[in-house]
Amino acid sequence: MEFVDYLQAVTDGVMQGAYYALIGIGFTLIFGVMNKINLAYAAAAFGGAYASLGVAALIGTGDDFGLPPLIMFLVSAIAAGLFAWIVYTICFRFTPDHYELATLMATVGAFFLIEEIAVHSTAGEPMDFPEVLQGIVDDPMIEFSDAFAIRGDLLTIFLLALIAMGLLLMLLYRTKLGLATRAVAQQRTAAQLCGISVDRTNATTFIIAGVLGGLAGAMIGAAVGVLSPLLFVPLTVKGLIVTVIGGLGSIPGAIVAGLLVGGLENVFLALRGITERDMYVMLLLFLFLAFRPQGLFGKKAVRD
Amino acid sequence: MLEITDIVTSYGKIEALKGVSLSVAPGKITCLLGPNGAGKTTTMMTVAGLLKPRRGNIAFEERNITGRDPGHIVQSGIALVPENRLVFPDMTVHDNLRTGAYSRSDDEIEDDIARMFERFPRLHERQEQHAGTLSGGEQQMLAVARALMARPKLLLMDEPSLGLAPLIVEEIFRIIRDLNAEGTSIFLVEQNVHQALKVAHYFYLLEQGRVTFGGSPGDLEEDEVIQRAYLGSAEQT
Repeated sequence: MEFVDYLQAVTDGVMQGAYYALIGIGFTLIFGVMNKINLAYAAAAFGGAYASLGVAALIGTGDDFGLPPLIMFLVSAIAAGLFAWIVYTICFRFTPDHYELATLMATVGAFFLIEEIAVHSTAGEPMDFPEVLQGIVDDPMIEFSDAFAIRGDLLTIFLLALIAMGLLLMLLYRTKLGLATRAVAQQRTAAQLCGISVDRTNATTFIIAGVLGGLAGAMIGAAVGVLSPLLFVPLTVKGLIVTVIGGLGSIPGAIVAGLLVGGLENVFLALRGITERDMYVMLLLFLFLAFRPQGLFGKKAVRD
Repeated sequence: MLEITDIVTSYGKIEALKGVSLSVAPGKITCLLGPNGAGKTTTMMTVAGLLKPRRGNIAFEERNITGRDPGHIVQSGIALVPENRLVFPDMTVHDNLRTGAYSRSDDEIEDDIARMFERFPRLHERQEQHAGTLSGGEQQMLAVARALMARPKLLLMDEPSLGLAPLIVEEIFRIIRDLNAEGTSIFLVEQNVHQALKVAHYFYLLEQGRVTFGGSPGDLEEDEVIQRAYLGSAEQT
């Protein structure tokens, strides 16, 4: 492989890493606020993407998708936000707070429930998802040379993800809702004393994370071209890897780690092929856990 | 102003408060003293709504606030400066203060923050610093300022001098006296009996979940208060 091939692989990978970053942010947001892992998160995100396919099918006819892809992103985001809230209500709202395994197992159950619903409603078949640039531009490639080009659809997805992340950071650091979210994440008792409802903040965090996940789910559909329940487990695992590498609870960490994992993954793919790619990603996780368990941006010690 | 009547609060099967009754007078400083484990912090957390009493009644300005959630209680005019300060470590000093005003929706929040900075110049200097990087004394100031941002009529303070250097303790008590002089009623839990008796108008002794004395600082010899606040009464041990 020549240098330009690596460059191509990394570029594609980093752009695809945008949706790993979004999924990672979702896991990390929920962990940051509740100190708990929601394993059903990526499944609910894909649930949103499936819902957008459903809405498009209701409107469209035959081979025609009823909605432009970017509108489908929006539908997916809203539906996933709703599903995330349902997951919160079922798995977290009424389970005992001090018993962490209870919520963890509840989310495992929710994961399989959502997966089963997806399998049954599609007979397990992959569903076509519209490409983002379909019908907008003729040539979806920006070519720089024979060996290096940027895929227009990936670039669009990447930019959309950046906008979503920017909006999230604004929400967290410029609004009263964000203030409440950060307060609950950092010192729950004091947040309550300030009049912040922990339950409402938790639910809102789930919805925000769900919206980001729905966006990511639709992006993956658009980038891959299909949606399949077979994507649920790999994306959950990738999201968790990104969360750990970035540092549990760190949003900048999840962004950097998402792009990093995306880029490296594509290099592994170019070097070793699709069958071995994920082995190296896993190896990366173990290296981090052994030598930098707090992740890229995590704190070494957690303060009470 | 605050009337606590026969409250029982328990952790599981263990009763931490076994029927506590006391009252806090408007415009005064009332202290709650007692040995470790007597239930002082439990009393504070029960009033602030963090713990629900199993029975008994808490009334604030003649309104029943028993078992209400903390948000409701802070809105009715009671703010707690919690034990160990509990600042938001990764938020700036300024954002900590904004969070203190979370229950308010008026447009005077920034004015109040400016007033807090006048009262606590050290916080002003460090307003963009993360609260976790402040010294213990500064964090205590911040915790007090954050509680004041809710514009409470009654300020609850749980061991504000805990773990602080003597000079800082002096300053904390000066602040308590100032706040009270400006009209804020104060209900204070303290280990530092000497300082507490100097500022208190009334005080209660809490031992093993029960109030065993209530009166003015002159009513009991300081030595006896110290004895009972640190060790408990002889007849109970």
